[in-house]
Amino acid sequence: MKPIKEPGFDPIEDIRQAGVRLEVLRYLALVIFVILSGRLWYLQIMNTQVFADRAEMNRTRVLTIPARRGNILDRKGRLLASSQPSYNIVISRKDVRNFDEISDLLVGNISGIEKEWLKKRFEAAIYEPKYESIVVKELATNIDVQWVEAHQFEYPMIRAEEAPRRFYPNNELAAHALGYVGEVSRTELNDPESPFNRENSFKLGDIIGKAGIERTYNEILSGKDGERRVIVDSRGRIQREIERIEPIPGRDIHLTIDLDVQKIAEEQASNMPLNRGVIVVSDPRNGEVLALVSHPAYNPNIFSLKAKTEEGKSEIRDLYENPDKPLYNRVIQGTYPPGSTWKLMTTVAALNEGVITPESSRIQDGGIQLGNYFMKSLSHLGAPDVVTAIARSADGYYYRLGLKMGPERFEKWVRAFRFGERTGIDLPREKIGILPTRAAKAMIYPKTPKWTDYDMAASAFGQGTNALTPIQLLRYVNGLAVAGRMYTPHLFMKAAPGTDRMGNYHEAMTYTDEKAFKVQMSDATHEIVLKGMWGAVNGAGTAGAARVEGFDVCGKTGTAQNISTDKVNKNTKDHAWFMGFAPRDKPEISAVILTENAGFGGTHSAPRARAIFEDYYRRTRGIKDETLSEAAASPTDAPRTAGN
Amino acid sequence: MFGINRRYISDFDWPLLGIALAIALFGVLEISSAEPTQGLWRRQLMGIGIGLFVIFVTTLVDYRRIVNLAPFLYAGGLIMLALVLTPLGKEVNGNRSWLYFGSFGFQPSEFAKLFTILLIAYYLSSVKKRPLDIRSIFIVGIIWALPTGLVFLENDTGSALSYGSFLVAMLFLAGLRWRLVAAALVALVLAVTFSIPYIKSCKSYKCERVKAVYWPELAEKRFRYQNEQSEIAVGSGGLFGKGLRGSTQGTLGFVPEVHNDFIYAVASEEWGFLGSFASLTLYLLLITRLIQIARRSRERVGVLLVAGVASLLLYHVTVNIGMVLRLLPIMGIPLPLMSSGLTSVVATSFGLGLAISVRLRRFVN
Repeated sequence: MKPIKEPGFDPIEDIRQAGVRLEVLRYLALVIFVILSGRLWYLQIMNTQVFADRAEMNRTRVLTIPARRGNILDRKGRLLASSQPSYNIVISRKDVRNFDEISDLLVGNISGIEKEWLKKRFEAAIYEPKYESIVVKELATNIDVQWVEAHQFEYPMIRAEEAPRRFYPNNELAAHALGYVGEVSRTELNDPESPFNRENSFKLGDIIGKAGIERTYNEILSGKDGERRVIVDSRGRIQREIERIEPIPGRDIHLTIDLDVQKIAEEQASNMPLNRGVIVVSDPRNGEVLALVSHPAYNPNIFSLKAKTEEGKSEIRDLYENPDKPLYNRVIQGTYPPGSTWKLMTTVAALNEGVITPESSRIQDGGIQLGNYFMKSLSHLGAPDVVTAIARSADGYYYRLGLKMGPERFEKWVRAFRFGERTGIDLPREKIGILPTRAAKAMIYPKTPKWTDYDMAASAFGQGTNALTPIQLLRYVNGLAVAGRMYTPHLFMKAAPGTDRMGNYHEAMTYTDEKAFKVQMSDATHEIVLKGMWGAVNGAGTAGAARVEGFDVCGKTGTAQNISTDKVNKNTKDHAWFMGFAPRDKPEISAVILTENAGFGGTHSAPRARAIFEDYYRRTRGIKDETLSEAAASPTDAPRTAGN
Repeated sequence: MFGINRRYISDFDWPLLGIALAIALFGVLEISSAEPTQGLWRRQLMGIGIGLFVIFVTTLVDYRRIVNLAPFLYAGGLIMLALVLTPLGKEVNGNRSWLYFGSFGFQPSEFAKLFTILLIAYYLSSVKKRPLDIRSIFIVGIIWALPTGLVFLENDTGSALSYGSFLVAMLFLAGLRWRLVAAALVALVLAVTFSIPYIKSCKSYKCERVKAVYWPELAEKRFRYQNEQSEIAVGSGGLFGKGLRGSTQGTLGFVPEVHNDFIYAVASEEWGFLGSFASLTLYLLLITRLIQIARRSRERVGVLLVAGVASLLLYHVTVNIGMVLRLLPIMGIPLPLMSSGLTSVVATSFGLGLAISVRLRRFVN
């Protein structure tokens, strides 16, 4: 291509002009170079720290290694709740490229995995935090774990990961005392009142006690969680570990529960007519609870072992929807009219106030005309003394005693026994109940707030507005047993030394009763209480079914009138109470038993008490033969003597 | 002409080849750091080998003979670009720019760019007018528009825009009137100004990518992510960098396409300001050296050819690094010689070969 001379075109001038314009291109390149260099300077020199921090935040994650929860043991060191070193079979997402291949592998070698289920599991995993591995089996068997470990090199994407699980070896046994564990809820985390909120450094995913002892003593039971600092990629998959802080296990707790007593109490509760009721057994000398049963119960293992499985979720739903409310702890949350068990309160009040005296306590029994209303009495004992009135549960006696005493003096002693207050048992969500007082009546019946003679008479023998919890009744019967010394019912006996959640060391600790108090009860008064209650069991009283040969059981039955209008179900029957202790002069054991909607206390609750007391008596006295058991008759529906 | 004589060896532009090789080998190092397991760096080394071969073959041939082949090369390029739109083409990352023959795939647009440069140089060297007349501009426009239109159809905006870079540069050097240059600049400023409100309100992914850089608060988070991660990679490198294999932003996958479009981000993270400034300087040296070759050429066709290659490289470097440094929106534009990819390396080598060939023959006639 030779340059051709054309008119008006000078090739030399053309190249010269192009050269000038090439300079423009060169300057453009320079300007761009300066701009890009300036930007590099800005990013890498002036602001490098900002970006270095963000890069670091990008790549590291801190993962929690949950600490093993402390064991819960009974008073003799027998296991009630443990942390099992359970294993999950997990697969890391990073290495899974082919679903079919991995699913064939898993279905063929890990027990209990189905292909369909696994497919769903993989789909669900999309919504889980991405750095987590996919759990394909919880609670793996030894065989599963062995298989995984044997094939570590062949299939590095399948791993067995340790995940301590709460395990309750006795299932339903003492469920309401122990409670259960679960992940802390968002509501609790954000509630400024909750002990498990963010301010107390709880975070999503933490396992806490949801109910019972697990909740009350969460701080002792939960150890200090460990940490893994890991490097993750942009999709959050763990690449490697850079630091590991091992967790410190939680401290063991010994409860006052006696597994032997608990077992017999469970057995007695399990055959209640409508499967609903309460049995609490304690040591009246210090308030230690030996057995606590609220029936029906639940299996706390569902919450810790199966909460994430479909099966477990439906079981939990069933528990919430069950009309018998198995999750509800009747011992501290159920409130019932005390019925005739209340007569001892009225007795102590009247003796303390001098309304009657040990020497002069005879009062007319039988029905009474109050204005234009005749209040019937099941008992017609003439004019008995107070001991007989207790033993044979003389309603008419107490109508008149109440009227003689009047609300002022009566209420003073209701408060002295601290009814209407929480006992302070170491279980969460205790109810306070309702008092048989003028204030309570005015509040409940705002249209007829006036305190009448009927109210006084009813309140004196345990009806009226009165509603109390079985645990309040237990503290009361314990006070009656030991002359007015009122110990706080409790389940905690001692905790081992160890480290708490925040890493602070604690010495071993035992229970200290800070709420104990005394109700005035002279020896003479106490003597009358003991005689009356002994008579109820061992004389011709209402609680004869609780008698244990040689053990001097004292007790009192009660029948709580059920105000329910439910006529269709059997729920209209009265609740049957028994409260008692033994032996009479040096009490060691006490019990409160409530059989819901069963009828008379003497027929339904007293025999259960007998079984518990007898078992205890035989075990502690080393009696093995069958000589005592002839009294173990099956409960009959026939009302025994007068009274209720 | 094919014989290797002393003059060929002594006149060969060894510094230019040295700069290019230095950049390319740095690229291999960083590819191996970003994707150590995938064997991409071996492939890249092979690409460099092919590239060297292409350079030597190209420089042995008189560039004027190649220019004379321009119409055929150009036509071949157009056919390949059209084939991409047939089932032979394959879409990668939203751009349908790959052509596959069996397992062998390449991006025709990389070569088509150079063939277009050749044809424009071929045509403009025959136009003996300065300043350029409207008719010539119009013909150049048609030469440019055909491949650009096809690339636009492939949805490869970044590549399509790159055709604009050498078009403007070559018209400018061939004697576009200053009046027209000024008018084009004014038009550009006006167009940008008036499109701002539209871009701000538009939701297409292209608009989102623009907003992610200039109005990040208006952009969707997922579109900001790549810009942010790339910025973090570069910034966290600091003065000295995290060292070879020290990249976390790149190797852990926060920065996308690390071995390819974002290779400069990993390089900046691992070698810090020193490394990224040094490599930027190498690119400046490469481009200014090309401009120098153009200046030395005594022939209109040589000037235009080398300036076309230089402006194309300048465009690629500016857009790619500007994107990595969050100055420009993300476009699928590789960094010449560093990004992994055989097509890009071989095509760039061809361009460099043409330039060296021009320099070798600057004294002839």
